Amino acid sequence: MSLSNLLENWSQFRHEHPNNDKPHEEYKWAMSIDLDACTGCNTCSVACYAENNLPVVGKEKFAHGQAMHWIRIERYWDEDDREFADQGAQFLPMMCQQCEAAPCETVCPVGATNHTADGLNSQIYNRCIGSRYCSANCPFKVRYFNWYNYPTTENVWPEPMQQQLNPDLTVRTKGVMEKCTFCVQRLYSAKNNARTEGRLVHDGEVQTACQQACPTNAISFGNLVDPQSKVAKQWEQQKVELAKDKQLKDAEEGGTDLRGYRILEELRPYPSVMYLERVRESAI
Amino acid sequence: MGKDIREDIAWAQINTDVLKSLESPRRLFWVIIGVAIAMIGVAVGCEIYQYQNGMGVANMDNPHVWGLYIATFIFWIGMSHSGTLLSAILHLMHADWRKPIYRFAEAMTTFSLMTAGLFVAVHLGRVWQIYYAIPYPNERWVWPNFQSPLLWDAMAIFTYLSSSVLFLYVGMIPDLAIVRDNIHPGWRKKLYTLLSLGWEGTDRQWRNFRITYLTVACFLIPLAVSVHSIVASDFAMSQQPGWHITSFPPYFVAGALYSGCAAIITLFIILRYVFKFEEYMTLSILKKTTRLTFAIAMVWTYLNLIEYATVWYGHDQVAKDLLIQKAIGPYAPFWWSMNFCGSIVPFLMAFKRFQTSIPVMFAVSLLLNLGMWLERWMIVAPTFSHGYYPWTWDHDQWPSFVQWGIVFGSFGWFTLLFMVFCKVFPSVSMYEVKEMVYHRTLALKKDGLATKGAH
Amino acid sequence: MIENSFNRRDFLKVLGWGGTAVALSGCGNTSVEDGKEFVTSYSEPADYEIPSIGVYFNSTCAQCDAGCNIMGRVREGRVLKLEGNAGSSINRGKMCGLGQAGVQAHYNPDRVREPLLRNGNKGETLTWEKALSLINEKLGGVKGEEVAFLTGGISGHAKVLLNNYLEVLGSKNHYAYEAVSPGVVRAANKKAYGVEMPRLHLDKARVVVSFGADFLGAWVSPVHFSMQYGQFRKGSRPEGRGVLVQIEPKMTLTGANADHWIPIRPGTEGILALGIINALGASVPADAAAVAKDYTAERVSKDTGVPAEQVGKLAALLKERSPSLVLAGGAAEGYAHGSQNAAAIALLNQVLGNVGKTIDASDTLQFTQIAPTTGSRASLQVLNDSMAQGKVKVLFSYGANPVYTAPASMKLVENLQKVPFKVTFAHYLDETALQADLVLPLDSALEDWGTSVPEYLVDAQLSIQQPLMEKLYPNTRGIGDILLALLKQRRAEDYKAYEDFYSYLRGAMVQNKAALGGAVADDDSFWNATLSSGIVKLPSAAGSILAKVSAAAIVLPAPAAEDASYPLHLIPAVSASMRDGRHANLSWLQESPDPLTTIVWDSWVELHPKTAAKLGIVEGDILEVTSRSGSIKAQAYVFPGIHPDAISVPLGYGHEAMGRYAKGVGANVFKMLDPVMDKETGELAINETRVKVSKTGQRVIVVKDEGAAGGKQMGRKIAVKLSADEVDLSEEV
Repeated sequence: MSLSNLLENWSQFRHEHPNNDKPHEEYKWAMSIDLDACTGCNTCSVACYAENNLPVVGKEKFAHGQAMHWIRIERYWDEDDREFADQGAQFLPMMCQQCEAAPCETVCPVGATNHTADGLNSQIYNRCIGSRYCSANCPFKVRYFNWYNYPTTENVWPEPMQQQLNPDLTVRTKGVMEKCTFCVQRLYSAKNNARTEGRLVHDGEVQTACQQACPTNAISFGNLVDPQSKVAKQWEQQKVELAKDKQLKDAEEGGTDLRGYRILEELRPYPSVMYLERVRESAI
Repeated sequence: MGKDIREDIAWAQINTDVLKSLESPRRLFWVIIGVAIAMIGVAVGCEIYQYQNGMGVANMDNPHVWGLYIATFIFWIGMSHSGTLLSAILHLMHADWRKPIYRFAEAMTTFSLMTAGLFVAVHLGRVWQIYYAIPYPNERWVWPNFQSPLLWDAMAIFTYLSSSVLFLYVGMIPDLAIVRDNIHPGWRKKLYTLLSLGWEGTDRQWRNFRITYLTVACFLIPLAVSVHSIVASDFAMSQQPGWHITSFPPYFVAGALYSGCAAIITLFIILRYVFKFEEYMTLSILKKTTRLTFAIAMVWTYLNLIEYATVWYGHDQVAKDLLIQKAIGPYAPFWWSMNFCGSIVPFLMAFKRFQTSIPVMFAVSLLLNLGMWLERWMIVAPTFSHGYYPWTWDHDQWPSFVQWGIVFGSFGWFTLLFMVFCKVFPSVSMYEVKEMVYHRTLALKKDGLATKGAH
Repeated sequence: MIENSFNRRDFLKVLGWGGTAVALSGCGNTSVEDGKEFVTSYSEPADYEIPSIGVYFNSTCAQCDAGCNIMGRVREGRVLKLEGNAGSSINRGKMCGLGQAGVQAHYNPDRVREPLLRNGNKGETLTWEKALSLINEKLGGVKGEEVAFLTGGISGHAKVLLNNYLEVLGSKNHYAYEAVSPGVVRAANKKAYGVEMPRLHLDKARVVVSFGADFLGAWVSPVHFSMQYGQFRKGSRPEGRGVLVQIEPKMTLTGANADHWIPIRPGTEGILALGIINALGASVPADAAAVAKDYTAERVSKDTGVPAEQVGKLAALLKERSPSLVLAGGAAEGYAHGSQNAAAIALLNQVLGNVGKTIDASDTLQFTQIAPTTGSRASLQVLNDSMAQGKVKVLFSYGANPVYTAPASMKLVENLQKVPFKVTFAHYLDETALQADLVLPLDSALEDWGTSVPEYLVDAQLSIQQPLMEKLYPNTRGIGDILLALLKQRRAEDYKAYEDFYSYLRGAMVQNKAALGGAVADDDSFWNATLSSGIVKLPSAAGSILAKVSAAAIVLPAPAAEDASYPLHLIPAVSASMRDGRHANLSWLQESPDPLTTIVWDSWVELHPKTAAKLGIVEGDILEVTSRSGSIKAQAYVFPGIHPDAISVPLGYGHEAMGRYAKGVGANVFKMLDPVMDKETGELAINETRVKVSKTGQRVIVVKDEGAAGGKQMGRKIAVKLSADEVDLSEEV
């Protein structure tokens, strides 16, 4: 509990954002979501509920905005006063963007949310005292607070539904903030298994629950540091760089031919999720 | 323009008048204490309900993760600047007219801070682990996060609270000695004997006292400014629209001084009436307080308009949308009331006719504080309801009875503390009033001699 | 993942008992001290079982009739989560939300746990022995033709046993009923292509024109088609990025993903199809041209509401980008002339030359006895008529909830009262089970043995269903075991070799192992390999599809006349989660927002802004929707994806029983459907109901996920889209 310990921890966990000073070495988990392939079916959302012990809050609490969906499917319409939505709707899966310069990380009074060495924004449930500043600061509002004690609330996990709970992660009690973790429990297992075998995790060896379930393969997930991984190839092909708030390609000639972008990039959180713009053929 | 105090009040008279306020209370006192306790009961009941069931009963949600607790927290911190302003700042400016009123103002400071501290606890999801925010030695070797404005808040407020208590106490020592010397034997005499630390009023003691008091005052002023600036940085350090404004620290400090002064006027009028302190809390002093409040009101109004102007002429479309939303959306009635109470109502204080009118000033001071409370709420809530991400906009969420109950009860808590204070400690600083009378006499004599000399 | 080459049953015996015994409350309300929890140590732990490591077993999803193959993650004897089986040609490792919720169906707190016998308005528990002997008793006095067996779609070995049982009873009365099924399209396909459900290849098409077929949502095999759709949209495939045109009066999930969504006057899809054939001009074969000759663009435009030049554009698009694929879905077929609509659309496919390219025949199975019997709505009509005439003395029902899904005009409950003895094999006490005299509790899909053949065949396969854990409740039984027990009552000798359904199944499979690809292996290896993969290739012959244009007399009626007292068309919508309401008691699905409206935990009425404005309706108004056959009340939702002459209410809500999450949520629109049937097949024409809408004066705040901004982005670059001509997709990864 010494001062030197504090300073050492400080330099390890609090560093220049985006972390050009300490690039991710073995792993940097990132995602790429193809909005043209996403059909809005909500499978990823249900899979996330199953994998991560998310409580179903019921109608009344949902009406009060207290739902717990870590990944939510947003649906947008075209906004040019057309009579019919004749180019359909736009679906967007939104989950914690695991920002490299996360606005939530700096403001937690007790340090319950930090950045891990493999590029995730960590949420440490047992440290959280529930001040909710992290959620207040999140521009995407992808953090979800346990407004009630769901394990003891009626009809959330009535017997025997509690047997479905995934023992790889906790069931959160009231007063604790939670959010998408890129299925960190799966990443942890995969990294351990790989380490036992003296290697790194291969691309595709570990999948997040949402990625695994998505019927159209709209979600790619993997290690951005591994140049052979699908997600790294996608980011590179789309010329989206993790550590930039304004992509060079947007200033370039023909840069807008590429579909990759990140949401609210101008606020400089440096999100780890890249979206591929939806394509619509207007001529038909 | 009346004089601030009569010059012919005998010092013994001052003692008697003030000590009378420490006598056994009348029935009304107990009635009000009862009401205050009942209000606290409501708050405690609500908090127990919230503690058992979770923060959800407060009707907070995603995105409205903060509600009246934070708003009222800032309100109470703001109110606490009254004492510092009157006591410390005006002391340094040698404004003698502060002397009869700074004691209760400092008390107000202390109790406001204590009330604000409650809101920090009430606001947390896991309040039983609030100690994680304290840098105590633990086996996990974990420090709290010093980058967080909330933690700065915690540190600043602790410092401010301890300094204010110290300031209040130190300033009271000579008075406690007076009470000790004049009260009948009993538990109270023992209390005052203990608290007055053997004060005898020797020349040496007075000199030390002056230096100490001045030092603490000088220390307290930047502390007060920094405390509310830090509280402002809870918002200013965030990227959220409606919060990310560099003028927030001075704006909050101005607002704090503003609400503090308004509260001083309210309590001034009440104490003056209840304890019959008309000789000390004169209308002249009221007028000066009122004019000071008006000046601060204009400063606040200016900073408020600066905020609107920077948003309006800036490039941040999101912040602009939010400003428009405040004016026309679901919070519009509250936002317009805030602007009215904060900027229009104080103009009543510009008229001499009203500056000394007790009923008008009482009403005005309450309205000003209402405006300031609304201001805090209008900073916290609309940003959540209408932030960066349209999908998460929520124009329908309002605080539940739990939040209102606790806010309501906090006023009871403050009242209880303040009323107990007024009965146990002298709420007018006797020695300072004596100094004031003395200086007035000296000033008159000088005038008199001058006139004589002139002839 | 751990290889599971071991003895399945031993595993379960050792582990499952321990697993279910350790009651994980997860919340600390019980403890070892107070005797509510106990810790069991494994005295003989199996060497493949390591606490904290999940073991995966393959099985088959039973949540809809697509029959995707799944893989269950099992830890310490409990199944926790389902994933797709990567080796399945149906879903290739993918799932849908409905499938994910299969664990909730298994762990559902409202499952029936004991056999129940009706006593007045209550159900008294009784033993299986008593229940089975009661059935035997009741069957004693009736003739074969007085026994009826109502099921949903059924296939595999359970179907074999069912058929055997009916044969043994001397009954031919098997009614396969599905409330929501593409029955009309199947019949039309049979006529047009010679096969009921041809195989579709979206991934080979350059353009897909779907007349209301919600293939991404709830139509036929959504996960399979979604997978194909994922390929379809890839710019890097040789055909380039495919385009989707969806033509329907109410926007489905698929419609929301279309490049062009065309709202069409309800019922006129066939007219548009013929109009496109007409616009294709000279390249069309003579008999097709003859049928389409009167359907000029102007006439089609007048009838359907689709602008004339749009018809031409569609024709040009289909002609230019070949191969294409044209689909007919529920929106097209739910009319009295639905078969005609479907026939016109099939004709369009043939005219475009898609047959053999993007649409071909799936293989035909050699083992016809396990091939799927598909459900239809018409079969319920036949049963209902029989019951009305008092011809049914004993009714068995399994996998169907007609009391909930049948229109009120059928007076089904009344007719059911005429059946003296009703047995329901059920998971929940749903509306139909509540009418029964005897309710027998079923194993959940994750506890049961079985086989199934998917209705939509990608490859000829038999999917294996195996228990992913021990039974939760000792007194539930699998349908196979029940049928076997019933068979043994009649033909003890024939079935005495089979101790239970498992041994019957194993025996049947092993007996045919040569045909099933296990010729060289010994019985045990073959069986273990079968269970390990979960999928068995079935011997089959290549199917054939009619490519020749068969322009049988397609007679399309003029668009329906306006009805002044019931001015709006009601489109009952089939959502991917709720479907026909069988999964309404799964809380994940109730909480999963409807993709288009984002509404949860309630029904709604979709109205176009123009319709709403005309009637003075705003979002949240409680409306009364009345047809000639009934009415419901639901909240209004203003929605740009619907034809102004129509409103839409989702099916699957409004249960009056079934469980805590289903009961009382929303309104049941099945009840108010008008009794109009498709002329050719007798299927209920669900889109023919006409309604009027009135405000009740109540208003609520709609509980939905979208915020106050609705579907607007307010100029913030959140969900961005670009035009196809602005982007080069060929280089994409």
